[in-house]
Amino acid sequence: MKKIKVLILTGFGLNCDVETAHAFELAGADAARVHINALISKKQSLENFHILVFGGGFSWGDDHGAGVVQALKLKNHIGDDILSFIEKGNLIIGICNGFQTLVNLGLLPGLDNDYKARSVALTWNDCGNFRDQWVNLAVNQNSPCVFTRGIDSAELPIRHGEGKFVADPNIIDRLVSSNQVVLRYADSNGQKANGHFPLNPNGSMDDIAGICDPSGKIFGLMPHPEAFNHFTNHPLWTRKKENLKRQGGKTGRLDTLTMPPGIHIFKNGVDYMRGFI
Amino acid sequence: MVNTMISCIEIALKPELVDAEAESIKKKAFDYFNININTCRTINIVTLEADLDIGQLNAIKDQILTNPVTQISSLMLPLSIDFKWCIWIGLRPGVRDNPASTALEAIEDILKLKFKPGEGIYTSKRYCINGKDLVLSDMEKIAGDLLSNPIIQQWKIFSKEEWNKKTGVGREVPKVFLNHKPEFKEISINSNEELQKISDQRNLALNPRDIPVIRSYFLDKDIQKSRMETAGLTKPTDLELEYISQARSDHCNHNTFRGLFRYKDISTGEEIIEDNLFNTYIKNPTLELKNKKNWVVSVLWDNAGVGKFDDNNNYVITGETHNSPSNMEAYGGAITGIVGVYRDPMGTGLGSRLIMGSYGFCVGDIDYKGPLKANLSPRRLLDGVIEGVKDGGNKSGVPTTFGQTLFNPGYMGKSLVFVTALGIMPAKVSNRKSHEKKTSPGELIVMSGGRVGKDGIHGVTASSEVLSENTPAGHVQIGDPYTQKKMHDFLLVARDEGLYEFITDNGGGGLSSSVGESAMISNGCEVWLDKVPLKYEGLDMWEIWISESQERMTISVKPENIERFMELSREHAVESTVIGQYTDTGKLHIKYNGKTCAYVDMDFLDKGFPKWKFDAVWIPPALRGLTEPVLSRPEDYETLFLDMLARPNICSKEWIARQYDHEVQGGSVIKPLCGVKNNIPSDASVIRPVLKSQKGLAFSQSLIPWYSKIDAFHMMTCTIDEAVRRLIAVGGNLETTGGVDNFCWPDIQFDPITNPDGKFKAAQLVRACRALKKTCLAYEIPLLSGKDSMYVDGYLQGKYGESIKVSALETMQFSAVSVIDDIKKCVTCDAKIPGDLVYILGNTLNELGASEYYELMGQTGLNIPKVKFNRFRVIYRALEKAIEKEIIASAKAVSRGGIGVGLAMTAMAGGLGIECDLGKIPFNDEKGGKRDDILLFSESPGRFIVTIAPENREIFEKLFKGTACACTGKVLDEDATLTIKGLGKKTIIDIPVAKLEKTWSAPLAQF
Repeated sequence: MKKIKVLILTGFGLNCDVETAHAFELAGADAARVHINALISKKQSLENFHILVFGGGFSWGDDHGAGVVQALKLKNHIGDDILSFIEKGNLIIGICNGFQTLVNLGLLPGLDNDYKARSVALTWNDCGNFRDQWVNLAVNQNSPCVFTRGIDSAELPIRHGEGKFVADPNIIDRLVSSNQVVLRYADSNGQKANGHFPLNPNGSMDDIAGICDPSGKIFGLMPHPEAFNHFTNHPLWTRKKENLKRQGGKTGRLDTLTMPPGIHIFKNGVDYMRGFI
Repeated sequence: MVNTMISCIEIALKPELVDAEAESIKKKAFDYFNININTCRTINIVTLEADLDIGQLNAIKDQILTNPVTQISSLMLPLSIDFKWCIWIGLRPGVRDNPASTALEAIEDILKLKFKPGEGIYTSKRYCINGKDLVLSDMEKIAGDLLSNPIIQQWKIFSKEEWNKKTGVGREVPKVFLNHKPEFKEISINSNEELQKISDQRNLALNPRDIPVIRSYFLDKDIQKSRMETAGLTKPTDLELEYISQARSDHCNHNTFRGLFRYKDISTGEEIIEDNLFNTYIKNPTLELKNKKNWVVSVLWDNAGVGKFDDNNNYVITGETHNSPSNMEAYGGAITGIVGVYRDPMGTGLGSRLIMGSYGFCVGDIDYKGPLKANLSPRRLLDGVIEGVKDGGNKSGVPTTFGQTLFNPGYMGKSLVFVTALGIMPAKVSNRKSHEKKTSPGELIVMSGGRVGKDGIHGVTASSEVLSENTPAGHVQIGDPYTQKKMHDFLLVARDEGLYEFITDNGGGGLSSSVGESAMISNGCEVWLDKVPLKYEGLDMWEIWISESQERMTISVKPENIERFMELSREHAVESTVIGQYTDTGKLHIKYNGKTCAYVDMDFLDKGFPKWKFDAVWIPPALRGLTEPVLSRPEDYETLFLDMLARPNICSKEWIARQYDHEVQGGSVIKPLCGVKNNIPSDASVIRPVLKSQKGLAFSQSLIPWYSKIDAFHMMTCTIDEAVRRLIAVGGNLETTGGVDNFCWPDIQFDPITNPDGKFKAAQLVRACRALKKTCLAYEIPLLSGKDSMYVDGYLQGKYGESIKVSALETMQFSAVSVIDDIKKCVTCDAKIPGDLVYILGNTLNELGASEYYELMGQTGLNIPKVKFNRFRVIYRALEKAIEKEIIASAKAVSRGGIGVGLAMTAMAGGLGIECDLGKIPFNDEKGGKRDDILLFSESPGRFIVTIAPENREIFEKLFKGTACACTGKVLDEDATLTIKGLGKKTIIDIPVAKLEKTWSAPLAQF
């Protein structure tokens, strides 16, 4: 089988790189954690990879808006490399701080094929605090996003202080009509949160939790798929296990029964690239 | 000096967006001071002192500082946002300004320029406030008591009329400018009095008993001769005295625990000399257990303890407090505390990767309305420390998986901030055992990470003193998790490449401690202080040597590895500098530009310093006049039950846990909160630190300081017992349990005027240490690490201009850690399925002394809970087995508030009702008093509440045969009630679970 190679950025206050690499490996890829400076100094090249991951963390301390300095640094040094990486049909996923970076780079939302303009933002949560909480996500089935194929809902944790999705209402309308809105905060039945806290944990407009570019190959989301890499990550796993046992299920096989949605998202990306290259 | 251009950029959120920071200020102004603010907006100000052209300034404004989607900004002219009052808050000179540093890094990179010496960036904020009735005094309150702390910040208030629309807040910058040529002094010490005076003047906090020893060293003829010949020194230098002061401080040397105690028990007349509590009660039992338990890898010498996780990995654990700084400046103290304790695992063995952290906050009564004034009110202090640990932990990329917050008036004198850190490292790195390390002659001393400034000077000695008006504020600093995270990532790569031989952190005492202690191994060093990178010029040599500027590690690198080490350091954007060399000369030799400013024998500190001496007098509680209260049976149990749930020390603190990232690193198994609504505190947390493995690390902590009101001996045994039970409840086991002891004790040195009850507090310490050893041996828990923080006392200002000394309760935070073989067997405390049986394990006794119930009644009592090790152990082993067999649906360690509160937690967590018959609870009547309130709220240790499936009844009861174990009821349906039948066979409590939850969630939910 063809090996899909994934590059996960590290350094400058980024974290989540170890578990993101682990999750991509569970999804069947080869994952490499690469320091931003190693790309800048050309010790490593994007050309050798198929998926680029902007992961979670606090790049440059997030002191001037989350992801802002990271975006500038990358644009300044390897902006063209990233654009040509996209042109080759490769995939990019930005998670949490990575999503914040993608919107500041302008890689998202990529309206009118403009991958440089900043037209949406992720700003401070309405609740005023950093928040760690599991959310229900409704997945837009009509979205071109390659990462969410075959997934209609997911539970994942959010962990951020700046996750409120904000844009001009016209931009939001365009994102909605082009099905670039991939994930929305929802209730446990998959109905939109309609701004209700804590279902919508940050006050995002239109409950938006994740968007993609028009091609569906660049995906940014606030929740952390890599943090649901094992069934014991789920906050209610002990209840699920007990229920399963009472129904006569074999608990020893719990971990193999279903693929955690986090891994599913990554596997979609890996499978897509396997078909593409 | 040529004037450098100063430019201001102001940034604010667009008016249509919610300004969460401003909203929080509005809310706090009302909550704290009853001040009604109508509207408030925050403006961030970045002031640049640098010669930049307008194009560059605009690029900085538009590209770096302004988000075009959400923000507006202005260069030079202030933003015109309407206000009635404007409050400006800026930092004082020399205070760490993290946003300014990252802005500088970004600007230099993006504009491809380099700031010149003297140029810099400063950040500040102003708030535009409107409100009908707001007057100047309101603004002064908000500025002074809410938005700023005079220790690190300054403020200005502008009325609408005073505001200059062109110049705004002005352009002064808090620049540090020390017009000072670095120097060192030789100091004459002709008499003890003279040295004592110098100690007082310089804040050295030298113990009077040490003074003759220090003098006799420097006055020794041979020493004088060698100092003169080699270094040209005739008298001790200021740097040398500062070095000795650091090394001899209680914080570094643990003089109290190594002291000589004359312990007397008033009731028995027993008099005994306790020589070195540390050796007797901590070191010896730990060594004994290390021999028994092959999983104990490294204890008692390094920055943290090391235990075996699996064949290829060892975990690292330690705990610290950061009390004094947090009481001065809550945010700064707490962030420095958590970021600081994270350096300990990084500096243990050859260095570990951080995997989790935890917190413990002990503050005064949250709603204190009395006349006494602390430096910071308990509420403000708590807000600050929560935020400090949040920024420090989250930005380090380390999950904060556990934490507790408790309130007691004693902590108004000094609040406690406990921080704990765990790391993991491969058992072997580049073919060496990772827990071993040493320095050798010829290796280079490298300092990595942050730069050195005046911050933190005399932090160590300040924490070894009772807080008074004269405590220098200069030791308060702001941790910088960003710089440290870069260093953390860099050092792990360097470790795996085998690039260094030794590593330790710079904490208390700075280079003085880290280099001083690491040079003991090679037996000498030569340090070149002029090489140490500084934040600003003008520091004296002694200041460079003892500064506690944060985020620094000291590393020993072989000359042949230095080139690669430095290359890697640059690649990770981490500053590293060679500042000296380890030697085997037997001397600590410090130079500045070639001139010697210290030349001391390495073994000087081991020589002849006298032990500290304490008188300890134990008066048993009954002789102190404590009795059981005369308390009749309550009649209204439902109101009583709800009031118990709403107590500050019982009620929900979800709002704190949610602010901490407890899932980063992807290995979360048992989170700090559990249950259907994810809002009930878990007994312990479990993580999967090696993602490819099914093994887990369970972690819990306990704090039950109230029991010290009766006897610190039982405070200690109960605290450890609870920590252990919490681990067992989630699936941990005694066999692999290790502990970390964090003592926080008030001053124990008797003084008839300033510390009249010092002898009693000393006796409490001796008794607590005896209990520590007894418990550790009984449960076979090796102490992997531990720290002591003495002097948890403070002086509060009273109503009439008086000040009153307030001492905290004698407090132990005990952390327990255990390796779990199969995380899939872990258990949470929520009742799972209607119809399940509810069991209580362990005997209940009439043990309400210092309980939450008595506290509610305003009583202390006498019947302190007591641990019965042998009986408890049998139950713990049986529960371990039951969990291993996967027949336990839920388990909860009974803790503060007793079975009543425990049942409520189990029911609320499951969102299911529970019915329980108090008459069936296993009860031991040796202390008499079988009563409903006692059964509900007694805090006897050793107990669990578990639920099981009915079909497991037989196998379960077989496992617990012969122990105190009884089925007391069953789990009811969703939305049912908690129904408790009293001894009189009547239902005394029948409350819907939703109501319990509402009552329990409400008290602190508004924060």
